[in-house]
Amino acid sequence: MKTITYFICAIALFFAGNASAQQISTAELQVNGLTCSMCSQATEKSLKTLGFVETITPDLNTNTFMIKFKKDKAVNVDLIKQKVQAAGFSVGNLITTFNFNNVKLDANGQGQVGSSVINVLNAKSQVLNGNVKATIVDKNFIPANAFKKKAAQFKSESYASGFGIVNGVKTRIIHITI
Amino acid sequence: MVLKPESFILRFSFPMMYIQIMTALLLLSSAVKSQELYVFSEPASNMPSKSIGIRLTNEGMSQGGFVNRTIPEVMIGFNKNLMAHAQGFFSDMDGRYRLEGGSLYAKYRFLSNDNQKSHFRGAAFARLSTSKRPTYTQDINLEGDNSGFQGGVVFTQLLHKLALSGTLSYMQAFKDEEKQQPMMDRPEQLLGYSLSSGYLLLPFVYKNYNQPNFNLYFEVLGKTNPANGRSYVDFAPAVQVVLNSRTRVDAGYRFEVAGNIRNRYTRNMYLVRLELNLFNVLH
Repeated sequence: MKTITYFICAIALFFAGNASAQQISTAELQVNGLTCSMCSQATEKSLKTLGFVETITPDLNTNTFMIKFKKDKAVNVDLIKQKVQAAGFSVGNLITTFNFNNVKLDANGQGQVGSSVINVLNAKSQVLNGNVKATIVDKNFIPANAFKKKAAQFKSESYASGFGIVNGVKTRIIHITI
Repeated sequence: MVLKPESFILRFSFPMMYIQIMTALLLLSSAVKSQELYVFSEPASNMPSKSIGIRLTNEGMSQGGFVNRTIPEVMIGFNKNLMAHAQGFFSDMDGRYRLEGGSLYAKYRFLSNDNQKSHFRGAAFARLSTSKRPTYTQDINLEGDNSGFQGGVVFTQLLHKLALSGTLSYMQAFKDEEKQQPMMDRPEQLLGYSLSSGYLLLPFVYKNYNQPNFNLYFEVLGKTNPANGRSYVDFAPAVQVVLNSRTRVDAGYRFEVAGNIRNRYTRNMYLVRLELNLFNVLH
Protein backbone atom coordinates (compact mmCIF):
# COMPACT_ATOMS: atom_id res chain seq x y z
CA MET A 1 0.00 0.00 0.00
CA LYS A 2 2.82 2.32 1.00
CA THR A 3 4.59 1.72 -2.28
CA ILE A 4 1.45 2.61 -4.18
CA THR A 5 1.06 5.82 -2.16
CA TYR A 6 4.67 6.77 -2.88
CA PHE A 7 4.16 5.97 -6.53
CA ILE A 8 1.07 8.16 -6.74
CA CYS A 9 2.89 10.96 -4.91
CA ALA A 10 5.84 10.65 -7.28
CA ILE A 11 3.54 10.84 -10.30
CA ALA A 12 1.70 13.79 -8.80
CA LEU A 13 5.02 15.56 -8.13
CA PHE A 14 6.23 14.76 -11.62
CA PHE A 15 3.24 16.41 -13.17
CA ALA A 16 3.07 19.20 -10.58
CA GLY A 17 2.82 22.47 -12.40
CA ASN A 18 4.04 21.05 -15.69
CA ALA A 19 2.75 22.51 -18.88
CA SER A 20 4.50 21.57 -22.07
CA ALA A 21 6.19 24.19 -24.20
CA GLN A 22 3.27 24.58 -26.51
CA GLN A 23 1.20 25.75 -23.55
CA ILE A 24 3.35 28.54 -22.05
CA SER A 25 5.68 30.54 -24.28
CA THR A 26 6.61 33.59 -22.23
CA ALA A 27 6.13 35.02 -18.78
CA GLU A 28 6.37 38.37 -17.10
CA LEU A 29 7.63 37.83 -13.57
CA GLN A 30 7.51 40.60 -11.03
CA VAL A 31 9.62 39.88 -7.94
CA ASN A 32 8.86 41.35 -4.54
CA GLY A 33 11.09 42.24 -1.63
CA LEU A 34 14.05 43.80 -3.39
CA THR A 35 15.37 47.06 -4.77
CA CYS A 36 19.04 46.78 -5.64
CA SER A 37 20.60 45.29 -8.75
CA MET A 38 22.64 42.77 -6.75
CA CYS A 39 19.35 41.23 -5.55
CA SER A 40 18.00 41.23 -9.11
CA GLN A 41 21.15 39.56 -10.35
CA ALA A 42 20.89 36.86 -7.67
CA THR A 43 17.29 36.24 -8.77
CA GLU A 44 18.17 36.09 -12.45
CA LYS A 45 21.07 33.68 -11.85
CA SER A 46 18.77 31.49 -9.79
CA LEU A 47 16.13 31.44 -12.56
CA LYS A 48 18.74 30.67 -15.20
CA THR A 49 19.42 27.29 -13.58
CA LEU A 50 15.99 26.14 -14.84
CA GLY A 51 16.37 23.97 -17.93
CA PHE A 52 13.21 25.27 -19.60
CA VAL A 53 14.23 28.95 -19.48
CA GLU A 54 15.66 30.27 -22.72
CA THR A 55 16.25 33.98 -22.08
CA ILE A 56 15.63 36.45 -19.28
CA THR A 57 15.39 40.19 -19.79
CA PRO A 58 15.34 42.13 -16.53
CA ASP A 59 13.90 45.54 -15.80
CA LEU A 60 15.95 46.55 -12.77
CA ASN A 61 13.75 49.53 -11.96
CA THR A 62 10.54 47.55 -11.63
CA ASN A 63 12.16 44.23 -10.60
CA THR A 64 10.38 42.56 -13.48
CA PHE A 65 11.82 39.75 -15.58
CA MET A 66 10.60 38.93 -19.08
CA ILE A 67 11.19 35.20 -19.48
CA LYS A 68 11.16 33.34 -22.77
CA PHE A 69 10.82 29.58 -22.51
CA LYS A 70 12.40 26.89 -24.65
CA LYS A 71 10.06 25.47 -27.29
CA ASP A 72 10.80 21.82 -26.58
CA LYS A 73 10.75 21.88 -22.77
CA ALA A 74 7.86 21.71 -20.33
CA VAL A 75 7.44 24.82 -18.20
CA ASN A 76 6.96 24.31 -14.46
CA VAL A 77 5.63 27.45 -12.81
CA ASP A 78 6.18 25.99 -9.32
CA LEU A 79 9.91 25.75 -10.01
CA ILE A 80 9.95 29.41 -11.07
CA LYS A 81 8.44 30.30 -7.71
CA GLN A 82 10.96 28.10 -5.88
CA LYS A 83 13.91 29.73 -7.63
CA VAL A 84 12.72 33.21 -6.72
CA GLN A 85 12.35 32.12 -3.10
CA ALA A 86 15.78 30.47 -3.16
CA ALA A 87 17.29 33.81 -4.11
CA GLY A 88 15.63 35.22 -1.00
CA PHE A 89 12.59 36.94 -2.48
CA SER A 90 8.94 36.35 -3.43
CA VAL A 91 6.85 36.25 -6.57
CA GLY A 92 4.74 39.40 -6.67
CA ASN A 93 3.04 38.68 -9.96
CA LEU A 94 3.50 36.06 -12.67
CA ILE A 95 1.70 36.70 -15.98
CA THR A 96 2.13 33.84 -18.42
CA THR A 97 1.20 33.65 -22.06
CA PHE A 98 -0.74 30.43 -22.58
CA ASN A 99 -1.25 29.10 -26.08
CA PHE A 100 -4.60 27.37 -25.75
CA ASN A 101 -5.70 24.87 -28.32
CA ASN A 102 -9.33 23.97 -27.85
CA VAL A 103 -9.16 23.82 -24.05
CA LYS A 104 -12.59 23.03 -22.61
CA LEU A 105 -13.40 24.54 -19.22
CA ASP A 106 -16.03 22.77 -17.14
CA ALA A 107 -18.69 24.43 -14.97
CA ASN A 108 -16.04 25.05 -12.29
CA GLY A 109 -13.59 26.65 -14.72
CA GLN A 110 -11.35 23.57 -14.69
CA GLY A 111 -9.64 22.24 -17.77
CA GLN A 112 -6.75 20.15 -19.03
CA VAL A 113 -3.84 21.83 -20.84
CA GLY A 114 -1.42 19.16 -22.02
CA SER A 115 -0.34 17.35 -18.87
CA SER A 116 -1.43 20.20 -16.58
CA VAL A 117 -4.73 20.94 -14.97
CA ILE A 118 -5.77 24.57 -14.78
CA ASN A 119 -8.62 26.26 -13.03
CA VAL A 120 -9.69 29.62 -14.43
CA LEU A 121 -11.24 31.64 -11.63
CA ASN A 122 -12.97 34.14 -13.91
CA ALA A 123 -14.18 31.92 -16.78
CA LYS A 124 -16.40 28.83 -16.80
CA SER A 125 -18.02 26.49 -19.31
CA GLN A 126 -16.22 27.79 -22.37
CA VAL A 127 -13.58 26.77 -24.87
CA LEU A 128 -10.24 28.62 -24.88
CA ASN A 129 -8.18 29.14 -28.00
CA GLY A 130 -5.13 31.12 -29.03
CA ASN A 131 -2.66 33.21 -27.05
CA VAL A 132 -4.11 34.25 -23.72
CA LYS A 133 -2.39 36.19 -20.93
CA ALA A 134 -3.03 34.40 -17.67
CA THR A 135 -2.02 35.50 -14.18
CA ILE A 136 -1.14 32.69 -11.81
CA VAL A 137 -2.98 33.41 -8.57
CA ASP A 138 -1.98 30.42 -6.44
CA LYS A 139 -0.45 30.74 -2.98
CA ASN A 140 3.04 32.34 -3.08
CA PHE A 141 2.45 33.57 -6.64
CA ILE A 142 0.76 36.72 -5.38
CA PRO A 143 1.36 38.65 -2.13
CA ALA A 144 0.14 36.81 0.99
CA ASN A 145 -2.60 39.34 1.78
CA ALA A 146 -3.93 39.19 -1.79
CA PHE A 147 -4.03 35.40 -1.62
CA LYS A 148 -5.90 35.51 1.69
CA LYS A 149 -8.49 37.82 0.18
CA LYS A 150 -8.97 35.59 -2.87
CA ALA A 151 -9.15 32.44 -0.74
CA ALA A 152 -11.92 34.01 1.33
CA GLN A 153 -13.69 35.08 -1.86
CA PHE A 154 -13.59 31.70 -3.62
CA LYS A 155 -13.85 29.39 -0.59
CA SER A 156 -12.49 26.54 -2.69
CA GLU A 157 -10.45 23.68 -1.23
CA SER A 158 -8.42 23.33 -4.43
CA TYR A 159 -7.59 27.04 -4.48
CA ALA A 160 -6.54 27.03 -0.82
CA SER A 161 -4.19 24.07 -1.26
CA GLY A 162 -3.32 24.23 -4.97
CA PHE A 163 -4.25 20.57 -5.24
CA GLY A 164 -7.41 18.67 -6.07
CA ILE A 165 -8.56 15.18 -7.02
CA VAL A 166 -8.61 14.70 -10.79
CA ASN A 167 -9.65 11.27 -12.08
CA GLY A 168 -9.10 9.89 -8.57
CA VAL A 169 -5.53 11.17 -8.28
CA LYS A 170 -4.29 14.08 -6.16
CA THR A 171 -3.16 16.58 -8.78
CA ARG A 172 -1.60 20.04 -8.80
CA ILE A 173 -4.16 22.48 -10.12
CA ILE A 174 -2.81 25.79 -11.40
CA HIS A 175 -5.25 28.58 -10.62
CA ILE A 176 -5.27 31.46 -13.07
CA THR A 177 -7.23 34.52 -14.05
CA ILE A 178 -7.46 35.56 -17.68
CA MET B 1 36.70 56.14 42.22
CA VAL B 2 38.13 52.84 43.40
CA LEU B 3 38.19 50.31 40.59
CA LYS B 4 37.16 46.87 41.66
CA PRO B 5 36.62 44.86 38.53
CA GLU B 6 36.15 41.61 40.44
CA SER B 7 33.25 42.86 42.49
CA PHE B 8 30.67 42.63 39.73
CA ILE B 9 31.22 39.04 38.82
CA LEU B 10 28.06 36.96 38.63
CA ARG B 11 25.96 39.42 40.52
CA PHE B 12 23.23 38.72 38.08
CA SER B 13 22.22 35.47 36.48
CA PHE B 14 21.37 35.23 32.77
CA PRO B 15 19.65 38.53 32.03
CA MET B 16 16.52 37.15 30.41
CA MET B 17 14.46 40.05 31.58
CA TYR B 18 16.75 42.57 29.93
CA ILE B 19 16.49 40.67 26.69
CA GLN B 20 12.71 40.54 26.86
CA ILE B 21 12.41 44.23 27.63
CA MET B 22 14.86 45.22 24.93
CA THR B 23 13.17 42.95 22.38
CA ALA B 24 9.81 44.49 23.17
CA LEU B 25 11.27 47.98 22.81
CA LEU B 26 12.92 47.05 19.57
CA LEU B 27 9.72 45.60 18.12
CA LEU B 28 7.87 48.75 19.05
CA SER B 29 10.50 50.99 17.54
CA SER B 30 11.13 48.90 14.43
CA ALA B 31 8.33 50.66 12.59
CA VAL B 32 11.15 53.05 11.75
CA LYS B 33 12.46 51.32 8.06
CA SER B 34 17.77 50.20 0.73
CA GLN B 35 20.06 49.32 1.46
CA GLU B 36 20.74 46.60 3.88
CA LEU B 37 24.20 45.35 3.07
CA TYR B 38 25.35 46.84 6.34
CA VAL B 39 29.03 47.30 6.98
CA PHE B 40 29.16 46.90 10.78
CA SER B 41 26.17 44.59 11.27
CA GLU B 42 24.18 41.91 9.47
CA PRO B 43 20.65 42.34 8.08
CA ALA B 44 17.80 39.88 8.67
CA SER B 45 17.88 38.92 4.99
CA ASN B 46 20.03 36.02 3.91
CA MET B 47 22.34 35.60 0.99
CA PRO B 48 20.86 33.60 -1.92
CA SER B 49 20.62 29.84 -1.56
CA LYS B 50 23.48 27.79 -3.10
CA SER B 51 25.71 30.86 -3.24
CA ILE B 52 29.12 31.60 -1.77
CA GLY B 53 30.47 34.94 -0.64
CA ILE B 54 34.13 35.66 0.03
CA ARG B 55 35.21 38.61 2.14
CA LEU B 56 38.48 40.17 3.10
CA THR B 57 38.22 42.78 5.86
CA ASN B 58 40.89 44.96 7.38
CA GLU B 59 40.33 46.88 10.61
CA GLY B 60 42.75 49.31 12.18
CA MET B 61 42.85 51.39 15.33
CA SER B 62 45.20 52.95 17.80
CA GLN B 63 45.98 50.89 20.91
CA GLY B 64 49.11 52.53 22.19
CA GLY B 65 50.44 52.34 18.65
CA PHE B 66 48.59 51.56 15.45
CA VAL B 67 47.38 47.97 15.24
CA ASN B 68 45.33 46.22 12.62
CA ARG B 69 43.43 43.00 12.05
CA THR B 70 42.75 41.13 8.83
CA ILE B 71 39.71 38.89 8.56
CA PRO B 72 39.26 36.45 5.69
CA GLU B 73 35.69 35.19 5.63
CA VAL B 74 33.63 32.67 3.68
CA MET B 75 29.82 32.87 3.60
CA ILE B 76 27.52 30.11 2.40
CA GLY B 77 23.78 30.17 1.69
CA PHE B 78 22.54 26.66 2.45
CA ASN B 79 18.91 27.30 1.63
CA LYS B 80 16.59 30.28 1.46
CA ASN B 81 16.48 30.55 5.26
CA LEU B 82 19.82 29.33 6.57
CA MET B 83 23.28 30.76 5.99
CA ALA B 84 26.65 30.63 7.74
CA HIS B 85 29.93 32.53 7.91
CA ALA B 86 33.37 31.23 8.84
CA GLN B 87 36.05 33.76 9.74
CA GLY B 88 39.74 33.73 10.59
CA PHE B 89 41.43 36.51 12.57
CA PHE B 90 44.99 37.73 12.04
CA SER B 91 46.46 40.73 13.86
CA ASP B 92 49.54 42.38 15.28
CA MET B 93 47.82 43.34 18.52
CA ASP B 94 50.16 41.24 20.65
CA GLY B 95 53.38 41.85 18.74
CA ARG B 96 54.07 39.93 15.58
CA TYR B 97 51.26 39.46 13.02
CA ARG B 98 49.70 36.08 13.77
CA LEU B 99 46.58 33.96 13.51
CA GLU B 100 44.69 34.73 16.68
CA GLY B 101 41.46 32.80 16.26
CA GLY B 102 38.33 32.10 14.29
CA SER B 103 34.57 32.33 14.41
CA LEU B 104 31.50 30.53 13.11
CA TYR B 105 28.26 32.43 12.58
CA ALA B 106 24.87 31.10 11.50
CA LYS B 107 21.70 32.99 10.72
CA TYR B 108 18.18 31.64 10.28
CA ARG B 109 15.45 33.76 8.72
CA PHE B 110 12.14 33.03 10.42
CA LEU B 111 10.01 35.89 9.16
CA SER B 112 9.62 37.25 5.66
CA ASN B 113 6.96 39.65 4.53
CA ASP B 114 7.66 40.83 0.97
CA ASN B 115 5.95 43.49 -1.06
CA GLN B 116 6.91 45.46 -4.13
CA LYS B 117 10.24 47.15 -3.33
CA SER B 118 9.79 46.52 0.37
CA HIS B 119 10.10 43.79 2.94
CA PHE B 120 10.04 43.18 6.65
CA ARG B 121 12.19 40.31 7.83
CA GLY B 122 13.26 38.70 11.05
CA ALA B 123 16.16 36.35 11.74
CA ALA B 124 17.87 34.67 14.67
CA PHE B 125 21.61 34.23 14.76
CA ALA B 126 24.30 32.55 16.80
CA ARG B 127 28.08 32.89 16.92
CA LEU B 128 30.84 30.78 18.39
CA SER B 129 34.32 32.28 18.57
CA THR B 130 37.80 31.49 19.73
CA SER B 131 40.79 33.78 20.25
CA LYS B 132 44.26 33.41 21.69
CA ARG B 133 44.35 37.04 22.79
CA PRO B 134 44.82 37.88 26.49
CA THR B 135 41.76 39.39 28.19
CA TYR B 136 41.95 42.67 30.11
CA THR B 137 38.56 44.39 29.72
CA GLN B 138 34.86 43.82 30.32
CA ASP B 139 34.33 44.42 26.62
CA ILE B 140 33.69 41.37 24.44
CA ASN B 141 34.53 41.31 20.75
CA LEU B 142 33.80 37.91 19.25
CA GLU B 143 35.38 38.98 15.97
CA GLY B 144 38.97 38.59 17.05
CA ASP B 145 39.47 39.47 20.71
CA ASN B 146 37.49 36.92 22.73
CA SER B 147 36.48 33.30 22.95
CA GLY B 148 32.77 33.02 23.62
CA PHE B 149 29.31 32.72 22.17
CA GLN B 150 26.57 35.08 21.10
CA GLY B 151 22.88 34.70 20.28
CA GLY B 152 20.48 37.31 19.03
CA VAL B 153 17.70 38.50 16.79
CA VAL B 154 17.64 41.00 13.96
CA PHE B 155 14.74 42.68 12.19
CA THR B 156 15.08 44.57 8.92
CA GLN B 157 12.64 46.79 7.06
CA LEU B 158 13.33 47.69 3.44
CA LEU B 159 11.38 50.66 2.05
CA HIS B 160 12.40 51.23 -1.53
CA LYS B 161 15.84 52.87 -1.31
CA LEU B 162 16.00 52.99 2.48
CA ALA B 163 16.65 50.06 4.78
CA LEU B 164 16.44 50.10 8.56
CA SER B 165 17.56 47.34 10.83
CA GLY B 166 17.73 46.59 14.53
CA THR B 167 19.76 43.90 16.26
CA LEU B 168 19.70 42.68 19.83
CA SER B 169 22.09 40.08 21.16
CA TYR B 170 23.50 38.48 24.27
CA MET B 171 27.12 37.42 24.40
CA GLN B 172 29.19 35.60 26.94
CA ALA B 173 32.94 35.11 27.08
CA PHE B 174 34.37 31.71 27.96
CA LYS B 175 36.28 31.72 31.25
CA ASP B 176 40.02 31.29 30.79
CA GLU B 177 42.26 32.16 33.73
CA GLU B 178 45.42 31.61 31.70
CA LYS B 179 44.53 34.37 29.27
CA GLN B 180 43.31 36.77 31.97
CA GLN B 181 45.74 39.60 32.70
CA PRO B 182 46.23 40.09 36.46
CA MET B 183 44.67 43.17 38.08
CA MET B 184 42.67 43.92 34.96
CA ASP B 185 38.95 43.81 34.17
CA ARG B 186 37.65 40.54 32.83
CA PRO B 187 35.01 39.72 30.20
CA GLU B 188 31.83 38.08 31.45
CA GLN B 189 28.71 38.90 29.49
CA LEU B 190 27.33 41.77 27.45
CA LEU B 191 24.15 42.84 25.74
CA GLY B 192 24.79 44.12 22.26
CA TYR B 193 22.47 46.20 20.15
CA SER B 194 22.58 48.09 16.90
CA LEU B 195 20.33 50.33 14.86
CA SER B 196 21.36 50.58 11.24
CA SER B 197 20.20 52.61 8.28
CA GLY B 198 21.24 52.34 4.68
CA TYR B 199 20.35 54.34 1.60
CA LEU B 200 20.81 53.53 -2.08
CA LEU B 201 22.10 56.82 -3.43
CA LEU B 202 23.15 55.83 -6.96
CA PRO B 203 22.07 55.01 -9.56
CA PHE B 204 18.84 57.00 -9.62
CA VAL B 205 17.65 54.90 -12.55
CA TYR B 206 18.95 51.45 -13.38
CA LYS B 207 20.09 50.61 -16.88
CA ASN B 208 21.95 47.35 -16.41
CA TYR B 209 23.78 45.11 -13.94
CA ASN B 210 27.13 46.77 -14.63
CA GLN B 211 26.23 50.15 -13.23
CA PRO B 212 27.98 50.74 -9.91
CA ASN B 213 25.65 51.12 -6.92
CA PHE B 214 26.60 53.63 -4.28
CA ASN B 215 25.18 53.12 -0.79
CA LEU B 216 25.44 55.28 2.33
CA TYR B 217 25.20 53.84 5.83
CA PHE B 218 24.85 55.12 9.32
CA GLU B 219 24.83 52.73 12.24
CA VAL B 220 24.57 53.06 16.00
CA LEU B 221 26.40 50.25 17.78
CA GLY B 222 26.14 49.69 21.51
CA LYS B 223 27.13 47.26 24.22
CA THR B 224 26.11 47.11 27.87
CA ASN B 225 27.28 44.91 30.70
CA PRO B 226 24.01 43.85 32.36
CA ALA B 227 25.86 43.16 35.62
CA ASN B 228 27.04 46.69 36.23
CA GLY B 229 25.59 48.94 33.56
CA ARG B 230 28.98 49.77 32.04
CA SER B 231 28.42 50.44 28.39
CA TYR B 232 29.42 52.25 25.25
CA VAL B 233 27.72 53.60 22.17
CA ASP B 234 29.46 54.11 18.83
CA PHE B 235 28.38 55.95 15.72
CA ALA B 236 29.51 54.26 12.54
CA PRO B 237 29.15 55.96 9.16
CA ALA B 238 30.16 54.00 6.06
CA VAL B 239 30.14 54.12 2.28
CA GLN B 240 29.78 51.22 -0.11
CA VAL B 241 30.21 50.62 -3.79
CA VAL B 242 28.71 47.55 -5.46
CA LEU B 243 30.35 46.71 -8.79
CA ASN B 244 28.78 44.54 -11.50
CA SER B 245 26.01 43.69 -9.04
CA ARG B 246 28.28 41.17 -7.32
CA THR B 247 31.41 42.78 -5.87
CA ARG B 248 31.16 44.92 -2.78
CA VAL B 249 33.66 47.46 -1.48
CA ASP B 250 33.04 48.92 1.99
CA ALA B 251 34.77 51.65 3.94
CA GLY B 252 33.64 52.77 7.37
CA TYR B 253 34.70 54.30 10.64
CA ARG B 254 33.25 53.75 14.10
CA PHE B 255 33.82 56.15 16.96
CA GLU B 256 32.69 56.22 20.55
CA VAL B 257 30.17 58.91 21.44
CA ALA B 258 29.63 57.78 25.02
CA GLY B 259 31.03 55.01 27.16
CA ASN B 260 32.69 53.84 30.33
CA ILE B 261 34.07 50.40 29.54
CA ARG B 262 37.79 50.58 30.24
CA ASN B 263 40.26 49.43 27.59
CA ARG B 264 37.44 48.53 25.22
CA TYR B 265 38.05 46.96 21.82
CA THR B 266 37.32 48.37 18.34
CA ARG B 267 37.49 51.93 19.61
CA ASN B 268 37.72 54.61 16.91
CA MET B 269 38.35 51.97 14.28
CA TYR B 270 38.35 52.09 10.50
CA LEU B 271 37.15 49.17 8.42
CA VAL B 272 37.74 48.39 4.75
CA ARG B 273 36.30 45.33 3.07
CA LEU B 274 36.15 43.58 -0.26
CA GLU B 275 33.36 41.08 -0.87
CA LEU B 276 32.82 38.84 -3.85
CA ASN B 277 29.54 37.01 -4.42
CA LEU B 278 29.38 33.82 -6.43
CA PHE B 279 25.75 33.08 -7.18
CA ASN B 280 24.48 29.53 -7.66
CA VAL B 281 27.84 27.80 -7.44
CA LEU B 282 26.64 25.02 -5.09
CA HIS B 283 24.37 22.35 -6.46
